[in-house]
Amino acid sequence: MLPEVVTDFLILFQMMCVVVVFAYLVTRTRFYPEVLEGGFSWKNQAILILIFGVLSIYGSESGIDILGAPLNIRDLGPMVAGFVGGPVAGIGAGLIGAGYRMTMGGFTAVSCSLATVLAGLLAGMINLANRRRFPGLLLAVSGAVLIEGMHMGLVLLLSRPLPDAVELVSDAAFPMIAANAAGMCIFALITLNFENERRTCRERDRYQAELQRKNAELQIAREIQESFLPPSLPTLPGYALAAESRPAREVGGDFYDVLGSHGGRVGLVIADVSDKGVPAALFMALSSTVMRASAAWHQRPRDAVSDANALICRESGSGMFVTLFFCILDPAEGTLTYVNAGHNPPMLARADGSLIELRASGIALGADDRSVYEERSIQLSPGDLLVLYTDGVTEAEDASQQQFGDERLAELVKGLHDRTAGEALAAIQDAVAAHTQAAPQNDDMTLLLLKVGT
Amino acid sequence: MSTILQVAEERRGDVPVVFLKGRMDATTSPDAEAHINRLIDGGDRQLVVDLSGLEYISSAGLRVLLSGLKRLKASGGMLKLTALAPEIQKVFDIAGFNRLFPIYRNLDEALGADAAR
Repeated sequence: MLPEVVTDFLILFQMMCVVVVFAYLVTRTRFYPEVLEGGFSWKNQAILILIFGVLSIYGSESGIDILGAPLNIRDLGPMVAGFVGGPVAGIGAGLIGAGYRMTMGGFTAVSCSLATVLAGLLAGMINLANRRRFPGLLLAVSGAVLIEGMHMGLVLLLSRPLPDAVELVSDAAFPMIAANAAGMCIFALITLNFENERRTCRERDRYQAELQRKNAELQIAREIQESFLPPSLPTLPGYALAAESRPAREVGGDFYDVLGSHGGRVGLVIADVSDKGVPAALFMALSSTVMRASAAWHQRPRDAVSDANALICRESGSGMFVTLFFCILDPAEGTLTYVNAGHNPPMLARADGSLIELRASGIALGADDRSVYEERSIQLSPGDLLVLYTDGVTEAEDASQQQFGDERLAELVKGLHDRTAGEALAAIQDAVAAHTQAAPQNDDMTLLLLKVGT
Repeated sequence: MSTILQVAEERRGDVPVVFLKGRMDATTSPDAEAHINRLIDGGDRQLVVDLSGLEYISSAGLRVLLSGLKRLKASGGMLKLTALAPEIQKVFDIAGFNRLFPIYRNLDEALGADAAR
């Protein structure tokens, strides 16, 4: 046999375990959050009254003598009902508990029953004073201590013979107050935990809704941006074109364009806006529109680019700029006239297996409104393959941050002069993909290819 | 290779020198941008940016430097660059920015040019 103090403690511990399970189950019901949020409905009140009335009956039924002093948690149910649901719920649960207590008899039957109803009422008043909110840990526990003190006072006031009442209260006061305060502490902690959890859930839901809205907007932005690119590439007798732009994020700063020009000539544009994301996408929209208009206005590439630069410079706050390569192909003559505004020099793989880079002096658009652009011309031959690209291709990195690199691209392009434009485009994309493997890419990747002969 | 950008500052006489070390890309540039803007807002008109520790610069990094240059030039100041590694110099050359920024081989030359002015 264990010593009495240990068995008594175990019984007390079991009582508290029942309270924990009870509190947990109650917080998981559908009606509890409604009640906590001040949702007063008769149905919810009735449920509160019933549940915590039952807890009050359990409190009476599980009452024991601890080291010779009587101890029960009958008042706990009505107190919680009152703290959570207000005076109606508190009194209702108290009446159930009190009714049951009356059937148990004894010289404290009236005072204890009355105390249980009053416990529910007082807790309910505290709930009202707290604007129909659960009062929080400190107030709930100190409220429980005061209410149990009131309970002891009632016993002294109403129960007779007085000497018996005095003896009972002096034995029971401390364990009763302590046990009910502990039970209230458990309930308050679990309730507050539950409220925290619900707050976190609401915040998470709000952020998720916000995120979804932003993603939807970005998706629309992406579609609008795609509409700035040519919907299809024109067919040119004796030439073939292939192009693709892949933004690293939802929207990007790369673009290409194919423009009809004077006398059957065709303008090709490839460009890369500084930085990335939404600012780059907005600047891309500006730049592509300006370049399209300027190219339609001017016959010479140099004039078109100079004018575009002047216009873009007026709009380029925070140092935004765009590197751009613009060339005009005369299909009949087979000549290519080009301007390079700070863009990665396109590679021309010649039919004889050699490779040249189309460099020309010129600063990126938007950087300096006094920029001067050099214009150059080159004669194309059948079999030549021209590759316009953005640095997302050459700076594509593998997992160890090794870039694909200019040299690798040059070697690859050299070997592609006998391929069609579409095959060459796919070959470059495949080689870059093989280099990067699964490493995430953080730059847009754009390619525009022109093949002389088909 | 690092994935961060360290921004440090040292005053040489009156001139603040900003040292950038690591990778300057879209993710890491905002720190450098804030630092440079703080100096300009504080009234500095001559700025030297030392790029000797820079391993990589993307267009986002170029944008930050260009933004500083434009702000300083607008108020009669200047942003000088020094000690560009060959691969960094190449990025500046392609974009044509080598003709926009005064670029010096080392810090002493950049500061000496300032003193001579």
